[in-house]
Amino acid sequence: MIADFDIIIVGSGPAGVSAAFPLVEAGLRVLMVDGGRRPAIQSPEMDFLSARANDTEQWKWMVGKDFHALKFGDAVSPKLRVPTHGYAFDGFAEFNNIEGKNFTTVGSLATGGLSNVWGCGVARFSAAELAAFPFPASELEFSYASVSKRMGISGKADDDLSGYFGLDEYSQPPIPMDTLHMCLSSRYLSQRKKLNAQGFRLGRSRVAVLSEDASDRQACNFSGNCLWGCKRRSLYSAAYDLPELRRHKNFSEFSGFVVDRLTRYGSNWAIEGKDASCQGRQSITASKIVLAAGTLATTRIALKALNYRSSVPVLSSPTAAFLLWLPRLLGAKRMPGFGLGQLSFTLTLRNNITAFGSTFATTGIPLSEFALHVPLSRRYGLTLMRDLLSSCVVGNCFLPGHLTAANARLRGGESLIVSGKYNDEVTPLMDEAARELRKSFWRLGALMLPRSFTVGHPGGDIHYAGTLPMRKSPVVGETSWLGELKGLEGVFVVDGACLPTLPEKSHTLTIMANADRIGRQLSHYIQP
Amino acid sequence: MRIAVTGATGYIGTYFASLALKRGHDVTSVSRGKPPSHASAWIPFDLCSEKPVELPADVRVIVHLAANTADDNDLGEAREVIAAQALIKAAQNVGAKFIFVSSQTARADAPTAYGRIKWRIEREVLSAGGWVVRPGQVYGGELRGLFGVLAKIVRHLPLLPAFAPAPKVQPIHVDDLAEGLLRIVERNDVPPGVYCLAAPEPVSFARFLGEMAHSRLRCWRGFVPVPVVAINALRFVLGESMRTRLGVERLRSLFDLPAMDTASDLEQLGLVLRPLRSGMHPSGSNRRRVLLREGRTLFTYVLKEQPDNIALRRYIHAVEQLRGGQPLGLPQFFLGNPICLSLLNEAAWASKAMATEFAWRLDAATLLVEASPSGACHFLAVNRAHGMGSRLLSMMGALVCEVTWLVARVFLFPVIRFALRHERVDS
Repeated sequence: MIADFDIIIVGSGPAGVSAAFPLVEAGLRVLMVDGGRRPAIQSPEMDFLSARANDTEQWKWMVGKDFHALKFGDAVSPKLRVPTHGYAFDGFAEFNNIEGKNFTTVGSLATGGLSNVWGCGVARFSAAELAAFPFPASELEFSYASVSKRMGISGKADDDLSGYFGLDEYSQPPIPMDTLHMCLSSRYLSQRKKLNAQGFRLGRSRVAVLSEDASDRQACNFSGNCLWGCKRRSLYSAAYDLPELRRHKNFSEFSGFVVDRLTRYGSNWAIEGKDASCQGRQSITASKIVLAAGTLATTRIALKALNYRSSVPVLSSPTAAFLLWLPRLLGAKRMPGFGLGQLSFTLTLRNNITAFGSTFATTGIPLSEFALHVPLSRRYGLTLMRDLLSSCVVGNCFLPGHLTAANARLRGGESLIVSGKYNDEVTPLMDEAARELRKSFWRLGALMLPRSFTVGHPGGDIHYAGTLPMRKSPVVGETSWLGELKGLEGVFVVDGACLPTLPEKSHTLTIMANADRIGRQLSHYIQP
Repeated sequence: MRIAVTGATGYIGTYFASLALKRGHDVTSVSRGKPPSHASAWIPFDLCSEKPVELPADVRVIVHLAANTADDNDLGEAREVIAAQALIKAAQNVGAKFIFVSSQTARADAPTAYGRIKWRIEREVLSAGGWVVRPGQVYGGELRGLFGVLAKIVRHLPLLPAFAPAPKVQPIHVDDLAEGLLRIVERNDVPPGVYCLAAPEPVSFARFLGEMAHSRLRCWRGFVPVPVVAINALRFVLGESMRTRLGVERLRSLFDLPAMDTASDLEQLGLVLRPLRSGMHPSGSNRRRVLLREGRTLFTYVLKEQPDNIALRRYIHAVEQLRGGQPLGLPQFFLGNPICLSLLNEAAWASKAMATEFAWRLDAATLLVEASPSGACHFLAVNRAHGMGSRLLSMMGALVCEVTWLVARVFLFPVIRFALRHERVDS
């Protein structure tokens, strides 16, 4: 039997498109399938502050016509409440039959996947972090470069985190900081030695956001709409890579198809599933399958195909968030500005564990998000936060993924149950991080507001990885150095699921580089 | 199923027929004239005629609502009974359920012919194994039937009589009555018999008229006490025909209206009646109005100024779409003084669920207020004086207010707790 395609890639997110480029460029017949959800609500036309001051219809993108923001009032992150992002999360858990038990499970059926809503943090894994990968670290070198150039990365700076991020050779200049961050940054330079001795290092955030125009995307203009949807497409989304892929005649797309099952047909594979309009089941064949549906969805498809009933580990970074107040800047005027990470820090904790985090402007975030947590009656809590927030920045903090003891298991052969909690180490580590960050930022002239350091819910980081890790000699439930699932010859995992480790730093770029690497390798093995 | 309805064009009939259609039933109108709309079929029938009625074989239920309500009952008492007998026969011929809508006045020795006729028909229906429904004082919806007559009186008289001793009525909204009837039609577990459908707690007739003036007609009416003895005396002075023409007989039937025990029947049908104030509102419910006031209170509390009505409408929609749409029941005091919401804390509410619901609504109001230009102005401090001094002052002000309210909250806690548990807005 001749298969419909040489390769089917399941998912059009960062991993899917990264694997697709080398395969398509090698002339293989590639089909990409995805859930096909597209944005339904227009992002604000004006910059954030003008839109807020003038747009009488702003509730449509702030709350949503269906009151999206109120419906998801309990969601772990403000991002999950943003109506314009609703499409990116919509239907994922139901269609993929994934359920979290004390664990936040988020994924996407959107074209471009979760990269439609990501924080754009990028970093390279160090040689030590790549030590557990079953191939030489140098093999990723080329892929890091090619993926970074395609995405457009900014933040190049000769600072204390240059080595940590390791991306300066491919980066554009950083996006200018706002007054608050400039203040922190300049204080850091004078306190640097003392802070470094305490294990605290500060530098510009490296983000997949353009600071210089590209052919079809524009540089950041400080509209402040990062959280709400950037009309200029300055923030990278895998969806922006699709037009380039579509230029190739050997690239096909089936949007609105959720894969449910893999079936072997002789030497070929078929993906089976429902199309989005529920018109009935479909089956498409290929000689190789590349799974890039996002860690959780990929894990479910793989475990189902393997008929694997034991649990597999899930790596997920424990997170926390905090609020910093710069008293010197109290009463500063609200200015439009970049809404994603402006400064990042690393902090060395006990047992040589590193915490990583970034700080953000508060302007683009609804005041309600903060006021809800102030232990004052609402009326005065709002006044207080209104006066305070223009001189505040929010920060987040991530710990390495192995500190979450979580696992995923198929229940009844159908639904994927993800459950887990933080390791016992996390509480003392987070306490230490809170203490050290309070001290370090105090040196930078910023007060960590009391009770603001909040540890997130397990899974709330949405950095899932390592369910089907790549190993030198994989057993069932693991993958080879090519991401090929042990026991399912011809099925490759290229997303977060195949990472053997999850450090505290942003892992998206590494997922993409690894997908690119696997795509390149596969293009040598398969004859068009 | 196919339902034949007599009097389908009347006050109750119109509401019943449209509800039945909405539930997917076929409604056949059994009446003198062809009905203007809603009914899908028509069978001629006249209360005065003695001609036998023939129903289509697929009629499953007949609801007999038609009655002569004119004061001068020209038909003669027997005519209506004969017509009813013909209908019962017709129902038996096709094996249909027979439901007769009677009256609270139905009694063998009722003062009006109306009440006596209803009594006689009831006997016929019950002996044929049918259902009898005695509604209380029907009100709401279009100004028709007795409700329409009363509305006309209230509108035209600047002063209304408050009879003493006060006669009591048991109101039921016309939509609730239609619902009750339809439940008897649809359900198979309701045994034949007499069903009394009305508010279990009677209200004075004056309160009923006052509520009508206030909520429905939006006017103020004074009441003058009128002793019932005086009306009775009038009865002796006036002749028989004058008595009927002036409606004195009808008043007498109001005075000796037997109280009905309706609670068990309502429970049997699972029928929950709307409160009088809610039902008297022109829309048939003041739920939205109460929600609007609740929203305005929350918004004003958050924004420190009057919100615009468009934003408030969003609050109502949000509560309807996501929280079932019922008002919280904030005591009147808070509705008038939004700033005092600072006095409420979790422990003050009657239950944890109420406290959670209040918190949800306050959060929703906060976000909805924020997502507007005036909210942006207030929350982002756009177009406001900035600078360290003014911000510091404003923050200090907020903290002083907070402490003040905190103290007030501690001292007033028992009062607030009592208010939240006992005083509920009629919603």
